[in-house]
Amino acid sequence: MIEVDISKCTGCKRCEAVCAFFRTGKINNRLARIKVMNLYEIGIDGPVVCNQCKERYCMCCPDDALSMGSLSQVIISPTLCTLCAACEEACPIGAIEIFDDLVYVCDLCGGRPKCVEACTEGAITYEAEGAEYPSLAFFKKETNKMNPSQKRHFYIKRQGSEVRKKWSKRYA
Amino acid sequence: MLKFGYGGRVLRINLTERKSQIEMLDPLWVRDVIGGRAANTKRLFEELDPNCDSLGPDNILIFGIGPLTGSLLPASAYYTVTAKSPLTGILGDSTAGGQFAAEMKLTGFDQIIITGRADSLVYLMVTESGAELVDCPEYAGKTITEVTKSIRRERKNYSIQVAAIGPAGENHVLFSAIVSSGNRVNGRTGMGAVMGAKNLKALAVRGSHSLEVADPLAFLSEVEKIVKDILSHKEYKKRYQMGTTMLMKDLNNIGILPTKHFQEGVCIYVDEISGQKLESKHKVKNKACFNCNLHCSRYYMVGDLEAEGPEFETLCSFTSRIGNSNLPFALEMNAYLNQMGLDSISTSEVMGWIMECQEKGLIHPDDLDGLSITWGEVDKIRDIVNMITFRRGIGDKLANGAKKLAESFGEEARKLVMQVKGLDMICGDPRGIKGYGLTYAIASRGADHLRAEPYFELTNRKDEAKKRFGTEKAADRLAEEGKAALVSYSEKIALLTDSMTMCKNIGLCMDILNFERASALLKSATGIDYSPEYLEKIMGDFFDIEFKLNRSFGLRREDDTLPERFLKEPLNEGPTKGSTVDIKRMVDEYYKIHKWE
Repeated sequence: MIEVDISKCTGCKRCEAVCAFFRTGKINNRLARIKVMNLYEIGIDGPVVCNQCKERYCMCCPDDALSMGSLSQVIISPTLCTLCAACEEACPIGAIEIFDDLVYVCDLCGGRPKCVEACTEGAITYEAEGAEYPSLAFFKKETNKMNPSQKRHFYIKRQGSEVRKKWSKRYA
Repeated sequence: MLKFGYGGRVLRINLTERKSQIEMLDPLWVRDVIGGRAANTKRLFEELDPNCDSLGPDNILIFGIGPLTGSLLPASAYYTVTAKSPLTGILGDSTAGGQFAAEMKLTGFDQIIITGRADSLVYLMVTESGAELVDCPEYAGKTITEVTKSIRRERKNYSIQVAAIGPAGENHVLFSAIVSSGNRVNGRTGMGAVMGAKNLKALAVRGSHSLEVADPLAFLSEVEKIVKDILSHKEYKKRYQMGTTMLMKDLNNIGILPTKHFQEGVCIYVDEISGQKLESKHKVKNKACFNCNLHCSRYYMVGDLEAEGPEFETLCSFTSRIGNSNLPFALEMNAYLNQMGLDSISTSEVMGWIMECQEKGLIHPDDLDGLSITWGEVDKIRDIVNMITFRRGIGDKLANGAKKLAESFGEEARKLVMQVKGLDMICGDPRGIKGYGLTYAIASRGADHLRAEPYFELTNRKDEAKKRFGTEKAADRLAEEGKAALVSYSEKIALLTDSMTMCKNIGLCMDILNFERASALLKSATGIDYSPEYLEKIMGDFFDIEFKLNRSFGLRREDDTLPERFLKEPLNEGPTKGSTVDIKRMVDEYYKIHKWE
């Protein structure tokens, strides 16, 4: 899985830019499967990407268009998908989003994620095996009625509050 | 139609009529200016009535980006805001990085041109479909962060980027700024006041147009070379750690750190206010502009205050320049100025000028409503900045800038304003960096280094100097010789960075960009056959437009000079001791190169 350490993120969005570019040949954050939030008011930045949560909320697809690959990544079948947005609604952190009639979610680039290569800060790392998949049950409850952008914001803000506690201890 | 690199469209908004209109960007029109700053200036030149009131409805406010903005090119995150300046009455513009420009790219508009004046406070939401004008009386008096946060929350979209003005812009402080990404500032020449005068609180952008390049593989291979050059650059580590604040000690070491309002060039307490000190005591993490791998910006905490920055200019402006050794206070001011939307350099100049004049007995407190202040009096400085922001009491006069303020005082006092063409001078004593001195004198927006940023003269590369500029002296910071050649080269690269767009610290100071590279990048991105020679030619030709525009505002050759102090009074101590600037010689040579007059 892709691990994110938001305390190291500078908000540069290189991960987001290369994700879109290498997968589509274009730049546009809606085409990226990893999306960076910049929370200017609290100095927190962080990418949101599918972390293959324990619960697998997205697998609720009524058309069975979603499945799990050998790396535990989400795989979408474009032929089965009807763009009903059930997966988008189900993901508690906004890591799945539909744009221009396609579902965008991280598929780990087949095991060599481009975003990890692009990050010069060590904020994104990749572990092929032995990863402990996190539970997103807390976020599922809290972000129930939000859109993907709001979910990502909530998720990063929440994680950021932990980072800020450390900052305050040391610097304030 | 322009398909690659460019969005290919221009958005015009008339605030008086509350109407907007979408136009195609004419490929022929933009070809010889590329985009960004150069395109904005050309637009102003063609459409502005030079006699218009800069704070009236006829002034034209332009947000512009270039064909590489928001692309895979590192540090391509810049946008330029252009209008007639209310501070100087001539060409005004200011660029900023952060995230705004990359999002503006996705709206598909290369320029957003704003005219007229709204009858009450509004903000603009621009998407790929055009502009939506939103009444926002509730935003009056709000800070940058409050407005940014509110717009994102109300629209339930946190990818929205906002460029806003603070209370200073609303109050038409003539050196007020526009701020985006929380702390990214279009600081110089009072663009915030122009926005405020149009009753425009913020410009918000969010787009879904994709940026496509003509030859993705060729573009990628050029980008990868640049990525490597940045990562392996000898200044990488230092810039990563401190960003431009590294200059506090670097400039002090050569005796040109403005201290006590340019009376001294060596600051004895520099270790208390240095980039090193800031990094070790207060920096909590690095910050970066869109797609940059240098990450030279920083987030800091001090007490219960926190913000991004400061850059060197703000740090120096609120420490040595006004005789203050209290770093936490400077950090407090950085946060405050960014939230209120004030330019740090011009704010500092107002106070530094008063401090020096009062020290010399040229201004009596009674002349300033009882105001009496000397070096480093932080509580008074805090009060004055607040009075300027809200034009309260004497702050109302101070808010017009040091040059206008000085007009009601004697000649001795007027001479002490550190300005050129009405724009307050940046932090770097020209007596020890002659190429910069020439740049301040000739820069089209007034005393400013960014028009050419001849950082080369500080790099001591003698052989390279001989090769590029015909004399080793071009790399000797104390020499006048060769500086006109250096400046007339680097002003073209500076313009190129502002127009295609790329960060100047990387493109110019780190010497990453040249015409060959720009040619390869622009060709592969836009599909337009920009040869290195053609690029050099059009960048050179552009200065004639600027020249004509500023002449139409009434500028004359005599305005291309420096404050008398730098021509006549040598510094008394340090590695720049004894040096003055022969500005006439350099300006004459510079004019010859341009074949002006």
